[in-house]
Amino acid sequence: MTRNRSLLPPIRRRTVLAGAALALLTSVAPTALAQDISGELVIMQWQGGTDLEMWHEVEAAFIEMHPGVTVREFVPAGGQGDARGGMRTAIMGGEVVDIIINTWPAFRVELMTAGILRPIEEQWETFGWSEQLGDSWKELGSIDGVPYGVTYTYGDRSGIWYKTEHMEKAGIAEPPKTWDEFLASFEKLKAAGYGTPVAIPAKYWAHAEWFESLLLRTAGVDFAAQLARHEVPWTDPKVKEALMKFAEMLEAGCCGDVSVMLANDLDQSYAQIFRADEANYLLIGMWTNSTLKNDYGLTEGEDYSLFQFPALGMGFDDTSSVDTKELNATTNGANPAAADAFLDFIIGPEASDIMARYGYASPSSAMDQSLLGPAQQIATEAVANSKVQFVLGDLLPGDLVDEYRVQLQRFLQDPSEANIDTVLAAIEAKAAVSY
Amino acid sequence: MPETVATGEADVGGISSPKGGVRRRPLATRGWRLKDQPAAWLLIAPVLVLFGISVVYPLIDTIRLSFFDIRGLAPAKYVGIGNYLTLFADPGFRGTLVTTLTFTLGTTAISVSLGWVLAMLCAFTPRTTLPFRVMIFTTFGISEAVSGYMWINILRPDSAGLLNTVIGVFAPGFSHAWLGDPNTALWALIFVASWSGVGLPLMLCLAAVQSIPRSVLEAAYMDGARPAAIMRHIMMPLSMPGVRVAIFINLLGALRAFDIIYVMTGGGPVRATETVGYFMYRESMTQFKLGYGAAATVVLLVAVLVISIPAIIQRTAGAR
Repeated sequence: MTRNRSLLPPIRRRTVLAGAALALLTSVAPTALAQDISGELVIMQWQGGTDLEMWHEVEAAFIEMHPGVTVREFVPAGGQGDARGGMRTAIMGGEVVDIIINTWPAFRVELMTAGILRPIEEQWETFGWSEQLGDSWKELGSIDGVPYGVTYTYGDRSGIWYKTEHMEKAGIAEPPKTWDEFLASFEKLKAAGYGTPVAIPAKYWAHAEWFESLLLRTAGVDFAAQLARHEVPWTDPKVKEALMKFAEMLEAGCCGDVSVMLANDLDQSYAQIFRADEANYLLIGMWTNSTLKNDYGLTEGEDYSLFQFPALGMGFDDTSSVDTKELNATTNGANPAAADAFLDFIIGPEASDIMARYGYASPSSAMDQSLLGPAQQIATEAVANSKVQFVLGDLLPGDLVDEYRVQLQRFLQDPSEANIDTVLAAIEAKAAVSY
Repeated sequence: MPETVATGEADVGGISSPKGGVRRRPLATRGWRLKDQPAAWLLIAPVLVLFGISVVYPLIDTIRLSFFDIRGLAPAKYVGIGNYLTLFADPGFRGTLVTTLTFTLGTTAISVSLGWVLAMLCAFTPRTTLPFRVMIFTTFGISEAVSGYMWINILRPDSAGLLNTVIGVFAPGFSHAWLGDPNTALWALIFVASWSGVGLPLMLCLAAVQSIPRSVLEAAYMDGARPAAIMRHIMMPLSMPGVRVAIFINLLGALRAFDIIYVMTGGGPVRATETVGYFMYRESMTQFKLGYGAAATVVLLVAVLVISIPAIIQRTAGAR
């Protein structure tokens, strides 16, 4: 006992000294800290495939720049493309990370409300992120005007992918620009021997992409934002009009047997178009660029390309659906200095260029635009000239988005006007109890 | 010679006293010894602790969670039996009950009856059918996720789907999206789950048949019974204990089915293959409504208990 007591004062002195040193360090400007950062940086990382390869390259470049830092990834248990369940479980289980990779604005709000996210307003000023990211990107990662996320990549979700060989064989010299041209191209493609002009992978969620772009083109971004917040009902005639346009496409013979749509997931649709040459168009996100380049070994711009959603002529053709990925810093992370440095790094030239080489666009002005491939440049230009709205499905409450996707499957089974009313009434009924 | 009292203690350590009666003394002459009952509790304590941690605590916590409204990372709100009321008013959940019942009865009926018939056939020549039985039982050992991916490729709707290709040989141009049609998706799953599960009933029924005394079969032969009659009047009735165990195990497995549904259909199309197990996962893990998901879990637990308690009572009674 006595020995223990005699040991206590030196420990306390050391603790006091360490505390004093830490206090001194924290009083130094964050920029100075960023230069001398060290220790372990923990990132909650849930990506796979080529996204993960790209991410590892980004991490390696960061470590090269900051040799004192080691990066540890925490990978939550996943589930059919939505990692939020695993992320929530990990957080509730007490997992402590410095940075969270996030692609769901609603999840950012949930994390912030639970006190997990650290506001990064001060860092935005200190690191001068406004030089790389415009105000609209800052606003996109903010909640009530306070920034919580640094957006590091974005994707066009209103781009339609196709295989160039198919268009040539069908005698389609240029991708369709208008809705009528688009519908008319189905017959040409069928005449060329392709049974299914549009592949719709409706097994889980991808069938909603068509509705979301059609909603933007028939009702505009403001209406879509109101619908996402349930300030307008799902039974609104504007929503019905978007589904009627979708029905027009189905009735024009776009998509073949509905059972095949409901059986196929995204991977099967890629194979349908880019390997089996059975289908032609696919409306899906920009990760497709990386999949086709890296997994299918196709050449961007030569073997495949994309065109922006055709114009409907209803006054909202300057709209596009987009998704983003952002980094959120946590309040309880053990290494906030390294986290801030990583946030700064991710929108810098090194990270942006790595992403560009993998086929991902960064919103950072530090990115060398010439590194983007031809398809990515088409999408980037389209988004730059558009009023954008985040993917609707990622803005809806969890139980509503589930019902929304199932009801859109019911719509595919029967695209009649009567069933459209039934489908929208069912979504509205769920929305009434979901907010 | 005084009469000794046959007590538990006398059995283990009592010796006759010259004054009559029993002088009790522990077997070990040094140190201390526990009485039987505390010793028994001490010995089973590790198992009890493990059982408490891995079974009792999660069970109680699941029941506790089912009385709360928990959405994402938001604080939990006590709602009493609110989740249960919502659950039974939810047409989606009622639909999963019907799907679960169809799936459970379908897979149990197919796999057990097929396993039983195969066991009867194998019983006539057990040695020559050994490789065949090993092959069938192997399917039971394959992970459901792996067999699910394998069957997705067999059932795929395009020209690469094996089943469509085989049917196409007899009916040119035939094509069907087995997993995309709500009318066939559940039956496709039942077929795959039955394929995966037929090995266990086969082994259990065969074991029951092989335990039939040889003398009974020999007597039947001596009396001139033909193989069909022996199967019908001896092997089938006497293999019933194996069939009962197979039914019990299959029912419990099918009720809790999740892996194969997750991999093959994700509960679709339009929720046509969503069982209570998958509903529970969807509510708890994708929507993160932990309280609501826990309520569904408790309902499933009750269903499992309803099936297993009579079976356990019956088995225990048989053991006596």
